[in-house]
Amino acid sequence: MEALKHLCEIKAPSGREIAVRDYIIEKIGDKAEVTVDALGNVIAFVKGENRSDKRIMVDAHMDEVGFIVTHIMADGMLKFTTLGGINTAVMLGRRVEFLNGVKGVISMKPVHMLSSAEKEKMPDEDALYIDIGADSRSEAETYVSVGDCAVFGEPYENMGDLILSKAIDDRAGCWAILDIINSKPKYDFYASFSVNEEVGAGAKAVAYAIDPDFAIVVESTTAADIAGVNDDKKVCSVGDGAVLSFMDRGTLYDKSLFEKSLALAKKNGIKAQVKSYVAGGNNAAGIHQSRSGIRTVAVSVPCRYIHSASSAASLEDIKSVRDLTKALIEAFASGEMN
Amino acid sequence: MQSIKEILKKLCEADFVGSVGSALDTAGVFLSKYCTVRRKGNNLIGEIKGNTDYTVLLDAHIDQIGMVVTAVKDGFLKVQSAGGIDSRMLAGMRVTVYGKEPIRGVFCSTPPHLGKSDSVLKIEDMYIDTGLGVKLSDVVSVGDRVVFSTEFSELAGDKVTAKSIDDRAGCVALIKCAELLSGKELPCNVVFLLSDAEEIGGMGAKTQSFDISPDLAVAVDVSFGNAPDIAADKTGTLGDGAMIGISPVLSHTVTEMLKAAAENKEIKYQLEVMGGKTSTNADKIVETRCGVLTGLLSIPIRNMHTPVEVVDVKDISSVAEILASFVLTLEVK
Repeated sequence: MEALKHLCEIKAPSGREIAVRDYIIEKIGDKAEVTVDALGNVIAFVKGENRSDKRIMVDAHMDEVGFIVTHIMADGMLKFTTLGGINTAVMLGRRVEFLNGVKGVISMKPVHMLSSAEKEKMPDEDALYIDIGADSRSEAETYVSVGDCAVFGEPYENMGDLILSKAIDDRAGCWAILDIINSKPKYDFYASFSVNEEVGAGAKAVAYAIDPDFAIVVESTTAADIAGVNDDKKVCSVGDGAVLSFMDRGTLYDKSLFEKSLALAKKNGIKAQVKSYVAGGNNAAGIHQSRSGIRTVAVSVPCRYIHSASSAASLEDIKSVRDLTKALIEAFASGEMN
Repeated sequence: MQSIKEILKKLCEADFVGSVGSALDTAGVFLSKYCTVRRKGNNLIGEIKGNTDYTVLLDAHIDQIGMVVTAVKDGFLKVQSAGGIDSRMLAGMRVTVYGKEPIRGVFCSTPPHLGKSDSVLKIEDMYIDTGLGVKLSDVVSVGDRVVFSTEFSELAGDKVTAKSIDDRAGCVALIKCAELLSGKELPCNVVFLLSDAEEIGGMGAKTQSFDISPDLAVAVDVSFGNAPDIAADKTGTLGDGAMIGISPVLSHTVTEMLKAAAENKEIKYQLEVMGGKTSTNADKIVETRCGVLTGLLSIPIRNMHTPVEVVDVKDISSVAEILASFVLTLEVK
């Protein structure tokens, strides 16, 4: 799983996916016909051992949540906005790293200087700024420019039975698809490594180009299986396997495919669970509405603290996602599932 | 000879959690190059002998803000803070839990579907995830210590960010001062005290200054650095040198001597004026035995008590040089 660590450590927020794209193309090597479309999506036609009369699209997004500089203040501090949804609480007091390696911190007023009202309220996102240590606008401009992007600056680490990283969402999905490509797939399929999912614009062009019969979205989704949360709000649980969705904020999934996917997991002895709360969204939203409509399944890694510097997931779950994705490709291609 | 940045990185990345004191070991290695060093409890004391019985105490605290485990429940931990911590930043924050062995943890964050994102939880209402599940209670017990786990990073110019710059920056200033004084003829004994427990009341400085019984003392701590959201009159400017403290509890004579020590050597400094107590170890040392002449040098930092404190290493150098100049020109009657 060294490749997963490497994928997670790459700095590639929405709109700036080039570094992860290059890595993925290198890892695919000669195992697929690779094209990069006008938007930067990687489309790989993967030749399997057998042909199929079905066209299958398997998508994971390359981008991660991040930060983009909107203004450099006279005192050298950087104003920014987020790329993707990031709560203020998980930004405060965090290190960030620009794509060129410049480091900064999202600053905070010291606790000693807060009024009691300030202590009880999150600061406005507009009030946040990044400090790179520059003392003036001109000094800051020697390091970064308006429009430059950064990501969370925390490293990939193990934590108990889990891993921690800024970008499990969705490098875990990229890893799963790469692993399938590199392990002699049984059938032909189209792999999509897409841009801009975190800003809500991912994979539509890819779905149009591939024009698939079936799409599998390989994702990471919020797991709230933490202390103090009632069972009905847990969404899904880390360690309980691949997550299958019947509905999220972007898609009401094909019911029969959802049920057949669950049955397929059971038949193959792959750990799987149901996303039991309607929250979040992913590239399925765009894909399933493409052309005249595409039957779509979402298979996700359960991930605690998603969209923070320290998303937590289980390697076993990530393997289950890979295994279920592989089983789905084979079931669609062979006609076992339709 | 190691640079201030190198020493600061090593000291900030070491943790100090009660009796588990790798920061004490790390500081001891540096300080013992220049003087004899001893431990008293969780305090580290180095001494260079001078030509008289007059003793100058230089203090910086080596403890850091942290937390203590109050409950281990369903595979998660609850903690309370030891030292002032802003709970608004804790969601998703990484920590090191000093159980039977150091383990990684992360504060649980509330997913957006479970409530408004602008609500603030108190630290005692939050949980820490260690990824160990039910195995957690084999490793961690109530009373164990928890600290932030950020790595040291270099920023623009001479600025760096790390956890525990409060007050490892002061500790580095003392180590650098010892280096500047070593091998020199001194008019007085100089005792370097890296003290415990400042963040929870200053007991280290209080008890050790009783033991050392100095004739004069200078405490070195951090203070608030300039930032866009803080009034300029409440801060020092990063990179503008040591902040020499002026306060009714401090000795005006010592303050003037520190200014003169800086000016004699053309060392950059700025002034920090306080209307009452200083909220540093100086407040404790002043009250030792029948009273000690005490001064205060502060290093301006940003984001105090967070895992991303920011300091300009030039200011640490300024403190070390002023202290050395101060000691070397001291007139002992």
